Amino acid sequence: MPDQGASGTVISRSDALRVRRFLGGAGIYVVVLLLLLIGSLVSRDFLTSGNLLNIVRPVTLLGIVAVGLMFVTQSGHYVDLSIPATMALSGMVAVSTLGLGIAGSVVCGLGAGLLVGLINGLLIGYLRLNPIIWTLAMNFMLDGLLRWSTGGNQVYPDYTTGAGDVFVQLSRFETAGVPGITLLLAGLAGVAHLLARCTCFGDQLQLTGSAYEVAATSGVAVRRVVMLSFLISAFTTATAGILLASLSKQGTFTNGQGYDFNAVTAVVIGGVALTGGVGTVFGVVGGVLVMGLLGNIMTLAGWGSFDQMMAKGLLFVVVVAAMACATRRGGREDE
Amino acid sequence: MPEAYILRLSAVTKSYPGTLAVDGVDLTIRRGEVHALMGENGAGKSTLMKILAGSFDDYTGTIEIDGRVARISSPAQAKAHGIEMIHQELSLAGPLSIAENILVGRLPRRGVFLDGNAMAVEARRCLDQVGLDVNPRQAVEMLSQHEAQLVEIARALGNNPAVLVMDEPTSALSRAETNRLFAIIERLKQRGVTIIYVSHHLPEVYQIADRITVLRDGRKIATVAAEEVKPWSLVEMMIGQPAGQARIERRREPGRKRFRVRNFTRSGFFHDIRFFIRAGEILGIGGLAGAGRTELARCLSGVDPLDSGDMMLDGRYIEPTSMRACMKQGIAYLTEDRKRQGLALRLSALTNTANAVHAKRGQLLSRRERRELFSRQAAQLQLQPAQPQRQMVQFSGGNQQKVLLGKWLATAPEVLILDEPTRGVDVGAKQVIHEKIAQLADRGKCVLLISSDLPELATLSDRVMIMRKGRFIREMSKTELSENAILLAANADREVRFHA
Repeated sequence: MPDQGASGTVISRSDALRVRRFLGGAGIYVVVLLLLLIGSLVSRDFLTSGNLLNIVRPVTLLGIVAVGLMFVTQSGHYVDLSIPATMALSGMVAVSTLGLGIAGSVVCGLGAGLLVGLINGLLIGYLRLNPIIWTLAMNFMLDGLLRWSTGGNQVYPDYTTGAGDVFVQLSRFETAGVPGITLLLAGLAGVAHLLARCTCFGDQLQLTGSAYEVAATSGVAVRRVVMLSFLISAFTTATAGILLASLSKQGTFTNGQGYDFNAVTAVVIGGVALTGGVGTVFGVVGGVLVMGLLGNIMTLAGWGSFDQMMAKGLLFVVVVAAMACATRRGGREDE
Repeated sequence: MPEAYILRLSAVTKSYPGTLAVDGVDLTIRRGEVHALMGENGAGKSTLMKILAGSFDDYTGTIEIDGRVARISSPAQAKAHGIEMIHQELSLAGPLSIAENILVGRLPRRGVFLDGNAMAVEARRCLDQVGLDVNPRQAVEMLSQHEAQLVEIARALGNNPAVLVMDEPTSALSRAETNRLFAIIERLKQRGVTIIYVSHHLPEVYQIADRITVLRDGRKIATVAAEEVKPWSLVEMMIGQPAGQARIERRREPGRKRFRVRNFTRSGFFHDIRFFIRAGEILGIGGLAGAGRTELARCLSGVDPLDSGDMMLDGRYIEPTSMRACMKQGIAYLTEDRKRQGLALRLSALTNTANAVHAKRGQLLSRRERRELFSRQAAQLQLQPAQPQRQMVQFSGGNQQKVLLGKWLATAPEVLILDEPTRGVDVGAKQVIHEKIAQLADRGKCVLLISSDLPELATLSDRVMIMRKGRFIREMSKTELSENAILLAANADREVRFHA
């Protein structure tokens, strides 16, 4: 039982819920519209179709990562900090295995990423290691491994067999003027939505994230649910990593830097509670759009990339503080 | 001339959403007495004492201290009025030294640094009052449970309290340690400290209390002088008149043996447990907290791993490899702590009703099936309000417990294990839950009922096994049970008191 007064509790509790519902539901799209409005005031070219694609393009890979990361956050295990190194790893593996043909290279790249996810999932889900500490260590170790195994060099696609050209085209392919990777993001978001809403796994993920003990004593294989959420995150991360290597025409250990923080920010402003159990794919996609719009507006307004990093960091702190503040005033809703 | 009464509570009331935890309690405490506060779990003892200790700022009614009305809305105010509380769970910081724990909030300083010597001297003075001879620079985590509790008392005494509230202070102590504690209480009493002693153990209350107040369901039943009241009448006051409760109708006699458990052992928790349950039988398991009853239930339902033993339902072995495996073979386990293990309080009643079924089937029910399931459970358990999308937190304790029962009934169990199925629920909900349990048995299912609520155990069970320190020590039949229900309460108590 909380120590708070009954009437005060009710009001502040609904405040906390309101912040989260606003961000998690259609509310984030109100922010999107607002930013579109601001953007059109900042620059006359803002609402041209060319620029709208420019907004989406740089955050498409981020969107792919965030849609998978959402499962980890929903499971109540905060974040997967091994995202940058996993992206670099899968990109480098894909590039180095182009000799097997394009399909073989993509499979190897995804497989490498999934292996990282499997290790994360086993250690965090089954051995109950702290997710933040473990994935941080994982990232560090993987980073070291990549630098060591390549001697600190980049790897480049092998263009002699033709697979290299196809690989580079993976991220550049367009249909009717719409980038293929944007369609891929839409597809993955759709699948993720179905997974979260319409499957037993999604139901159990929500229960595990909301109340781990309850899930464990309701017949849910909680360990497996947690492991699967890390595997899903690793899968989308590896997908983004391969596409990033294709986009930059090289595999390098710096690919993926910054994706961890940006993805967490997108997930959180998309209304996914860091405490677990709450959130929608719809909201996360909105969060990603907000990140894209902000970046684009700041670029149009002439801000440098360092200024943008500071602004995004500040935004993250403000959103998390607002949520924490509202939650703390009301006490956790489940007490 | 100081007032004869140091504390006078009038019409003190505290409500949680959905329940009145303390309901219009009048209570007077004489200066320098040891006043015992008794009652069953959920009677409101702890809440009432927390009000005195300043844990709530939304109680109603008045508290007079030394004849002056005082509003106690924070722990600091309680301390300022000379009220100190020793909580049931120890609140010491393990890695810090004994001295730092005792002097928390008033650490002596020299300049910007702590004054280690002054700290040790002052801590020594406090420790002497409880007769504890340890090095104050030692870390608290090096102490035994009993010593840690004495440190906690020393800390409270360091503030020179006029009133010391002790909430179930002996629950983790051995007999010898309890006697040492009583000697300390006696000394404090001679120094003029007023002590409020919260407990539900009869023998120790008789040993130290001058007067006794009994609470039940948040209300005060009576205040009596300890030497004038008989134990049986105290027990009657605590548990209420069983005759006043509606009886549970059973429509059939237990049939053939359906569920058997042999040699169940999880070392350190329970040993060589064997029993059977007949078709349509309710087998009760009685015993004190820590006897291993919940641990047994967790292994029976596959939540925790088992060291050895086997179980059989209708002649087929059940392998408790996982909880889901047990659920699929017909076992359901209603956990004891609905807030932490039973219900996801942030999710809706509908989701909570369906999630055990989903886990059992490994497949989601359709939207329509889920709605139907919810309306069926809501109707048969008289859920109020019967709103599927309402969050669990917004239901009262009794209705939360109904949803929890509904969640497990929905899995259509052959063996239903119930761990404290009516803890902290109101009388109405309790009646509904009891009727559902009896109906389930009447349909030929096996029920295992773990309960610390003795009237509940007596009215519902066909047989009761008494468990102590991880073993079954006695079996009682239905006839013995109804006659002995109250005796049982006292006996189980005494066994621990005198054999520990």
